Amino acid sequence: MLRNYFKIAFRNLWRNKLYSFINIAGLAMGIAAFILILQYVSFEKSVNGFHRNIATTYRLLNENPKGETWPQVEPGWAQKAKERFPEIKAYCRFEEGVGQGIVRRTTENAEPFRETNVGYAEGNFFEFFSFNLLEGNAAAFKKPNVVFLSKAAVKKYFGKDEPIGQSLILYNQFGKATYTVNGVYEIPVNSDIRYDMVFSLETLSNPANLNDNDWAQLDNLSSQYINTYFQINETADYKKLEQKLNTLRNELKKDKDGLVFRLQPFANVHLPASFSDNYQTTGNLKYVYILSIIAILILVIAWFNYINLSTANALKRANEVGVRKVVGASRGSLVLQFLGESVLVNMISFGLALLIVQLLQPLFNTIIEKELAFTSLLSTPAWVAGLGLLIVGSLLSGAYTAYSLSGFNPVETLKGKLVKTNKAVVLRKSLVVFQFSISIGLLLVTAFIYRQLNYMQHKSLGVNTDQLLVIRGPQVDKDSTYKQRRTAFINALAQQSFVKDYSLSGSVPGNGYNFATSGFSQPGSRKGDELKSFSFALIDDRYLNTYEIGLKAGRTFTQPETMVEWNDNDKVLMNEKAIEELGFKSAEEALNTKVQWDERKLQVIGVVKNYHHVGLQKAIDPIIFYPQSNSAYFTVRLQTDRIKDNVAQMETLFKSYFRNNPFEYFFADENFNKQYISEQQYSKLFTTASVWAIVIACLGLFALATYTVEARTKEIGVRKVLGANVFTIARLLSKDFLQLVFIAFVIAVPVVWYTMYRWLENFAYKVQLSWWVFAAAGIVAIGIALLTISFQAMKAAFANPVKSLRTE
Amino acid sequence: MIKITNLEKYYRTEEVETVALNKLSFEVKEGEFVAVMGPSGCGKSTLLNIVGLLDDPDGGSFLFNGIEVAGFNERKRADLRKHNIGFVFQSFNLIDELTVFENVELPLIYTGVKAADRKVRVEEVLDKMQIMHRRNHYPQQLSGGQQQRVAVARAVVNNPKLILADEPTGNLDSSNGNEVMQLLTDLNEQGTTIIMVTHSEHDAKYSHRIIRMLDGQTVTENILV
Repeated sequence: MLRNYFKIAFRNLWRNKLYSFINIAGLAMGIAAFILILQYVSFEKSVNGFHRNIATTYRLLNENPKGETWPQVEPGWAQKAKERFPEIKAYCRFEEGVGQGIVRRTTENAEPFRETNVGYAEGNFFEFFSFNLLEGNAAAFKKPNVVFLSKAAVKKYFGKDEPIGQSLILYNQFGKATYTVNGVYEIPVNSDIRYDMVFSLETLSNPANLNDNDWAQLDNLSSQYINTYFQINETADYKKLEQKLNTLRNELKKDKDGLVFRLQPFANVHLPASFSDNYQTTGNLKYVYILSIIAILILVIAWFNYINLSTANALKRANEVGVRKVVGASRGSLVLQFLGESVLVNMISFGLALLIVQLLQPLFNTIIEKELAFTSLLSTPAWVAGLGLLIVGSLLSGAYTAYSLSGFNPVETLKGKLVKTNKAVVLRKSLVVFQFSISIGLLLVTAFIYRQLNYMQHKSLGVNTDQLLVIRGPQVDKDSTYKQRRTAFINALAQQSFVKDYSLSGSVPGNGYNFATSGFSQPGSRKGDELKSFSFALIDDRYLNTYEIGLKAGRTFTQPETMVEWNDNDKVLMNEKAIEELGFKSAEEALNTKVQWDERKLQVIGVVKNYHHVGLQKAIDPIIFYPQSNSAYFTVRLQTDRIKDNVAQMETLFKSYFRNNPFEYFFADENFNKQYISEQQYSKLFTTASVWAIVIACLGLFALATYTVEARTKEIGVRKVLGANVFTIARLLSKDFLQLVFIAFVIAVPVVWYTMYRWLENFAYKVQLSWWVFAAAGIVAIGIALLTISFQAMKAAFANPVKSLRTE
Repeated sequence: MIKITNLEKYYRTEEVETVALNKLSFEVKEGEFVAVMGPSGCGKSTLLNIVGLLDDPDGGSFLFNGIEVAGFNERKRADLRKHNIGFVFQSFNLIDELTVFENVELPLIYTGVKAADRKVRVEEVLDKMQIMHRRNHYPQQLSGGQQQRVAVARAVVNNPKLILADEPTGNLDSSNGNEVMQLLTDLNEQGTTIIMVTHSEHDAKYSHRIIRMLDGQTVTENILV
């Protein structure tokens, strides 16, 4: 019997090639999208899972009264907690960012590289975490001045040379120090901790190695800069430990800062357990959910195609059902038969989907910016759930068809009556509406994300970032000759014909501020104003000119003013927002009043027009500009169309003054737009998803149109005989479908409006939810639907009525 | 074999109720060949569907081999049908996706006959219907007469006690029609009861008895043999 079912299923697929193609192609596309996304979800769930002690490991977080958390804590707590609380078996501290600098081999003329993905870590780092050591042993990391390298770093610095026992020099804020390579490790792709190289924290326990950076002392309880992880006893309750840690904090912390400790299970560091878990994470649960929802929606669209096409095809199958019933088939055996067909179609589609996955993997990886492979799927049990969903879905979509087809009354089907039951038609229409609601919804979301992105990238920033090249300042060899060399470099740069303007600054637009602090007031301030936070940007006398930032009142710094020592300076610039925050009514008032900054008095010598120093997600911050010839960045405004040559010239110049430093530069506009990576990612994702969904939905619509035309062949013939022209026939056939697409549009609009309204709340500067975007998307959707249907509609309309009447 | 008493069947749409069978009574004995005639819409096909257990009546009694089947549910009817009744239709109603052999095999599959036995029985009946050489062809590759022979083969492969034929020659030319009628006569002679709905006086003459219907009732009975 089974063989008979499969036989007839195969022959049916073969006979109705168009129908089968659309069904299988649509399902394969849906399943492929699902598998790709499942890979991603599976990968995200697997992150950090390889650590053997993950279940008993916790990360220490700081939490402020607003409920914001961050993992940088003071380094002194770990040891104090370990001594006090026996349930703590071990701790491991490591920092991310503090140690970055420039690294080179000790050999003469070795090439220096800037390393941002490096840090200092506890001596037990390779015992506490489960990284694979390829060379060296974990205990060798406990000594000071030891570095362990990733495989990539070994290749970068040593090529094919044996790295163990070799030395590397690290130049960073702690000065210059030499480290011996004692180990090589491998980090799995699904690890959150991703050092290119890791230096022994033990090095910093020697005050001589701190280069006067006392804030970094390993036993201090005042500078939050290190990540702290605890391993606790299996029987211990981490919530109780959290309470004890807070008691300890209150006991030892003299200046009350309103912060509390939180313990975050290591398993929740990448993805939180739920949306209500607000602790800082390294992954994005929202993104995982959005992708999962998209995956399921696309799959559902494909299944709905299946249901729609199978029930539409019922006309052709009705006779078969009738015959089978007459010769003795029970309803049960027919249900089994149609379920079998559904499983067969799904299996073929699944095979095809695997092929599509292989083809689309690179594109998908670009969108999600991860290196995933099919094997990522198998790394967690998520694939079992995925497979389960596929099976259940294919059975359910088959079940409806099976149920409705097997219910046909043989008396009627054998006479060629029936088939157009109202229930089936209503269902078919509802499914089409659903498919197009999703498609139009995705299209609209794409449109708004794209518009917002475009807006952010093109809105006037109040600063001109075109033709601005920024060179990172030197970090190596900042000795007594450094200031002299810097001046000489600047002067040489200024003489180049392609340099229109230049500036030295501690921060540049797009790269944040130097720091933020509070404690400002003026005679007219209200109580509590001193708690307001102001961002600091260290700039020279040419910064505003070079960046073409306007002055509202007053003047900018003079060159001598930028040379004054930090504590002796009493002059600042402020932007309009800062003036407003301080309660000044006008720029002039600010210029005539001294501002108090803790113990110091500052004169506002100029008011800078508001401009966007950071991305448009954030409102303009109050900024205080402090004069300093800081050499974190050299900015050059170019007047040239030979950028490549000029960059080479600048590199030669740079190298001649700062020999052991890497020459690194970026363009200010590109750098600024890097702040929109997340939005760009969403934009790419939704564009792909909406195209995918629309293609599948249109495949279904095309097939439905084909069936409708077939089913109405006689009607069309009669109408033509009675005088209907091609246009009326085409309109008649298209009208019903377009109505459905329109209903779908009406359903999609409010849902999208609400969703995008919420999304746009993330942006201080945003596009309007303009009605015309909705209208345009509606027109596009209806246009696409019309194109899809029109082929069949026109074919029917042009058909010879004699022929169409004869077919009945 | 069949005893029908005061059988009623109505068709309802939202506004109209049509009486298809109006207290119809008649009887068919085992081994009989009965033709049912009457104008279109007189209830012939409705009667055939009820006798064939494809449809249920709205009133009256229907004894099949002495068992009251008027109240049977679909499952019971299907079960009784597949063991006892074979159908032959005007439009053949073969499944296009199955070969001649597979079409004829179908009823045996649903009655659970083993594959080896099926093969023997299907070949036997195809042989009898002289269509064996076409066993691997699909219906659309056959002439109308050949298709109807396959349909007859399918109707008899299960050795049913009763064959219901609904205008079996309606789509055939006269020589093919005669062939099919001869087949039915042969089957009847071998003991199978046959009820045939027909418009053709010529075909009706092959039967033992003609029941004429009008407006859902029998009006006359002509005994031919």
